[in-house]
Amino acid sequence: MTQPEVIARLQTIFDTVFLEPVVLTPAISARDVPEWDSLTHISLMVAVEKAFNVRFRVGEVENTKNVGEFADLILKRQQEP
Amino acid sequence: MQPTAQETIATLKARLLANDPQFWTLLKSATRAAKDFEELFLLSSLRKKAHARNLAAPAPAGKKLRLAIVGGYSLYPLHELIGHLCEVENLPLELWQGDYDNYISEIMEDDSGLYAFAPQVVFMLPAERRCVYTGKLTDPRAQPQAEAKNVVDSILELARKVNEKTGAEIITTNFMLPARHDLGAFRARTLGSDWSFRKWTNLELGLNAPAYLHICDWEFLANRIGGLAARDERAWFESKQPCSSALLVELAREAAHLILSLKRAPKKVLVLDLDNTLWGGVVADDGLEGIELGDTSPRGEAFKAFQKYIASLKQRGVLLAVCSKNDLAKAVEPFEKHPDMVLKMEDIVSFKANWEPKSENIRAMAPELNLGLDSFVFVDDNPAEIEIVRQFVPEVTTILLGPDPSDYVAQLADARLFEPRNITTEDAERTQQYRSDSQRKALEASVTDMGAYLTSLEMEGIINEFVAVDVPRLSQLINKSNQFNLTTHRRSEAEVIAVMNDPQFVTFSVRLRDKFGDHGLISIVIGEKAGDAMKIDTWLMSCRVLKRGVEEEVLNELVRLAKAKNCSRLEGVYLPTPKNEMVRDFYGRMGFTLLSESETKREFELRLDGFQPLPTQIKITRRAYDPT
Repeated sequence: MTQPEVIARLQTIFDTVFLEPVVLTPAISARDVPEWDSLTHISLMVAVEKAFNVRFRVGEVENTKNVGEFADLILKRQQEP
Repeated sequence: MQPTAQETIATLKARLLANDPQFWTLLKSATRAAKDFEELFLLSSLRKKAHARNLAAPAPAGKKLRLAIVGGYSLYPLHELIGHLCEVENLPLELWQGDYDNYISEIMEDDSGLYAFAPQVVFMLPAERRCVYTGKLTDPRAQPQAEAKNVVDSILELARKVNEKTGAEIITTNFMLPARHDLGAFRARTLGSDWSFRKWTNLELGLNAPAYLHICDWEFLANRIGGLAARDERAWFESKQPCSSALLVELAREAAHLILSLKRAPKKVLVLDLDNTLWGGVVADDGLEGIELGDTSPRGEAFKAFQKYIASLKQRGVLLAVCSKNDLAKAVEPFEKHPDMVLKMEDIVSFKANWEPKSENIRAMAPELNLGLDSFVFVDDNPAEIEIVRQFVPEVTTILLGPDPSDYVAQLADARLFEPRNITTEDAERTQQYRSDSQRKALEASVTDMGAYLTSLEMEGIINEFVAVDVPRLSQLINKSNQFNLTTHRRSEAEVIAVMNDPQFVTFSVRLRDKFGDHGLISIVIGEKAGDAMKIDTWLMSCRVLKRGVEEEVLNELVRLAKAKNCSRLEGVYLPTPKNEMVRDFYGRMGFTLLSESETKREFELRLDGFQPLPTQIKITRRAYDPT
């Protein structure tokens, strides 16, 4: 998978979780999306982990600055044995 | 083939975009079937999208219930799931969430946001980290026991305080057990281990909870899905989640179930199919010796185990009925002659074995037993029979059993339709009451003069003001009585206690006994003094004792108590519901004057001067507020 492919897949997850449509780009972050608060974040992460079959380590999602970095983290965790 | 979760979501979205009100029906069934967190959360989001689009619901939503959630964890997204689960069952919530781990001060401080919200139900999740034994593993048993008692006392004190200030019912979680090896087998040899200490605390809590405190059994729920699957340490460190998302779903479902059962009447009758439900095979074809039942085959054992489970439901007060497509004589034979039948003819209050549609047979049972169809549950292994009942008597809850008889017990138990609230001894005696009712009806048929019949019953009535020991039964009757109920005002146990202690109210209940048996507590009245009038807030009666003179004795007592409170008139109101048509003209029949009438209420008055006590054949042996 490449970063654009991951983001395209993320887009479908965001579409189901958020009421208002959000167009994902590598630069977009939680600050840009009013609905993306610490609360919807939890549901988002549960859905992402399941869809990509990954498990993030404690605290590391918080350290990603935008969707691009988040997609890279998904790729990194996917490549683990 | 059942559609997959993804297909259901796609259909829901399509209906939403088409503004199709069928969206709501599908949302309800999808919510009931949803297994994991993502699915349930998604359904909740779709519900919110539907509201945002103003998609009209087919049925008007019920009145909103004010629920506060407080506790030692982050309460999101738990509150979201509970709100969703209750709303799709037609009990929309107005939610208030406490802050993370702020529940003690929210409860102890009189001016907190919790009290400003004025909750009707409070869901409390005490922090697990306050449930640890601080001493040594080798301390004598009395020390961890005393400390567990302190943990429980502090929870009970919080609950008491909330209840006292708001009158709310309270639901509290207990504590999950650990799932890591840590102490090894030694964990079970000391009360100081987290494992033993929390188990002990949970037992203390459950056994000491007052009637207004309901236990959301987190220990059980975690055990059900598995200890390792129940926890998620990362979710705790990152966002103070109480447990794994899988258990969060179970926790939300349990909380919603408890909240709904505070407001909904339980089921009362279990209607059973016979062939391939109570035994394997078809008795009319295979004969008494040919059916599979009993310990000689695994299938026979499974059917016998199902019968034993049904017998245990009867023990708890569930009425059993039979509805089978069969020749009556053939259907009865196993009950009378098969050595492995657990259920006997005397366990069955209504036995229908014939060739009429099952829907019609079940419909006919309702008036026989004086119960509404919505208190019936029907189980059958045949999808066609389930379908006909679903279509023609939709009020009846149906369970399709099968295909494996060893799953029958689980299918019935997990449908959660016959769970006891607070068990009253009268539950256990109810089958006996219904059986003596049919003996009474036989006598009624043989005596032509009603007065002579009533005299022959040798009835004795006991009238009692509300007392604490009766509260569970009083609340049970107030919440499930539908037909002879003038106002259908529902009251929780806490609310019953409140009117019991309020001097503005007169309250009483009637017990009736006759030569065939004890009917138990069968009528309830709540009156409120307002100036020179006594307003009848609640007047309800079990239909089993209709037209025996109890109505008259209740009025006599009401008049006596109203006069004692210096009232000169009684005010009665009839509030129509789909089920209480039978008392529409009740006050008129009792000599009240109709004052006003509209679609939603009929108001009556009875002036007390000149009222003569109505004669009955009941001997009243005690009266309310009787000093002797």
